[in-house]
Amino acid sequence: MASSMASLLLQILVDALLLGGVYTLMAVGLSLSFGVTRIINFAHGDVVMYGSYAAFFAFSGLNIDPLLSLPAVAILGAVGGYLLFKFSIDRILEDVSINQVLLTFGLGLILQNVAVILWTGDERSTTPFYAFQSWFLSDDVVVANGRLIAFGLAAAFMALLLAWLRWSELGRATRAVSQNRAAASLMGINVRAIYGLSFALSSAFGAATGAIMSFLLPITPFMGFPILVKAFAIIILGGLDSILGTVIGAFFLAIAETAIAYLVPQGIGWAEGVAFFLLVLMLIVRPAGILGTVGRDA
Amino acid sequence: MTSARTWIVIAAALLAALLVPHVLPPGLSDWATRLSTLVLVAVSWNMMANAGLISLGHSGFWGLGAYTAALLANAVHMPFWFSVVPAMLLGAAFGVFLAYITGRLRGLFFAISTLAMSEALRVVALMVPKLTGGAEGLFVFDQIRPGRVTMTSFALCLAVATVAISYFLSKSRYQYALRAMRDSESAVQMLGVNPARFRIGVTALSGAIASCAGVISAWYTGYLDPGAAFDLKITISSQIAPLFGGLYTVAGPVIGSIAILTLSELTRLQFGYTAGVGLLVYGFILVFGVLFMPTGIVGLSHRWIGLFTRGRKLAVTRP
Repeated sequence: MASSMASLLLQILVDALLLGGVYTLMAVGLSLSFGVTRIINFAHGDVVMYGSYAAFFAFSGLNIDPLLSLPAVAILGAVGGYLLFKFSIDRILEDVSINQVLLTFGLGLILQNVAVILWTGDERSTTPFYAFQSWFLSDDVVVANGRLIAFGLAAAFMALLLAWLRWSELGRATRAVSQNRAAASLMGINVRAIYGLSFALSSAFGAATGAIMSFLLPITPFMGFPILVKAFAIIILGGLDSILGTVIGAFFLAIAETAIAYLVPQGIGWAEGVAFFLLVLMLIVRPAGILGTVGRDA
Repeated sequence: MTSARTWIVIAAALLAALLVPHVLPPGLSDWATRLSTLVLVAVSWNMMANAGLISLGHSGFWGLGAYTAALLANAVHMPFWFSVVPAMLLGAAFGVFLAYITGRLRGLFFAISTLAMSEALRVVALMVPKLTGGAEGLFVFDQIRPGRVTMTSFALCLAVATVAISYFLSKSRYQYALRAMRDSESAVQMLGVNPARFRIGVTALSGAIASCAGVISAWYTGYLDPGAAFDLKITISSQIAPLFGGLYTVAGPVIGSIAILTLSELTRLQFGYTAGVGLLVYGFILVFGVLFMPTGIVGLSHRWIGLFTRGRKLAVTRP
């Protein structure tokens, strides 16, 4: 009995850890664009969805493994994100927040329903061989290879992003704009260009997440919204403008969801609601999040 | 402040709401009922927006109202006209709860927490099947469901009452405080107005009105499930109608409701029931509305009227 309890806890830990990686990737794009422009992109979940479809069509049409098509998908995502920024978001940067919310919400609706019309609501998924493989860590603790690969990629991407932000010229400029746009502008940084860049990067992360999700979750035009809400919960938990906070928030949510799914009766259904409850709870207790600096008035 | 003329207009509108459904053909009667529910949520959404509160959780109020009506109808056979009372009380209570726990959260944070709360309600409704019937849904006790004509009259009366309330609110002195809250709550506070009280008042009123819409839909369709009662589409249409018609105005949400309902009928005629087309149109309205006509139809018409009546300035509030 004791050993089965121990392996249950170990299984929860393993699942939560692997899920946390994907969640980090899911939320980091949203956090990046918000940190720089202070605009929440309600269309982010739909960018992830398009990434999944791109990976799916590369897989089913051209027989390219999602991991190989991932770089191309991310580049397409970056281009798409930049165009969205240039033709819509760029024009409402100084508007009141209600306009920003309604505009990006509308963009999300357009993206989602174009997908519904083009590809219907049917569920699809990519089926590379590793999506079905798993191995035993101990007697009854299972590790799914697909999730392990997703976790590894997430960790690698996060390391790249952090290194870029820290050591590259553009990365430093991005951090400067995020901290103080007026001062950054006085230092000769082209703030608008950095905004565009951050949206492009954010969408690249979104699309890459989608490519990875393509072998973890069923792909439908409606997958974006739950992803968006989870990403909200994660960045609010961790702190809206902190990349490290996003990582913490992602693992926090992953642990809470996995624990509830395993330990509570009918837990899988309740786990769907965990993100909402945590989000509201955090907004009440500490709106700035665990590591964030953005106050309540943003 | 309120002239006799206003009361005459309201009385005439109520009378029309009671009489007109008797002569409407079924198709139009159905349209009028749906229009009324849309007007209710649109006016209610606009009230919150007017005070600077962006709600993405109106489906939460709707669902609460719908479940209150349906459950009370099944448990104690509460008639449709009376079920509005407990539903409004619950909607108002949820509004107060929302205002209370979001405290001083502004803009984005308020919007996201309302979204999270209405989604949380959906999950709860899904997970307590003993009460709500869960994913399989719930039928409203059929023998006490009113007929089509009664239902349309009822819905239209509620819509007229709601528009009247929003008119009186816009003429009252509270309007100034609310509008000022939209720009800056701290400035309002310095002028000696307590924004917290206004905030609670607005969310309570807005919540009560939006849950009325849920009551109508529960009685009208006779069936509900968590997916339909807490549908995000409700939130979407409640924000598109005021934006399209004219944010922060009295006429805007009503004109916007008529416009988007007509538009969705037209797209249905054109494209049939092709999934996604209706929402795609809504998405375009949101994006183009924000980018090119932020003052909505009301703002545009003021500008056109302004071309002909030089000298007389008409005030247009730019969001």
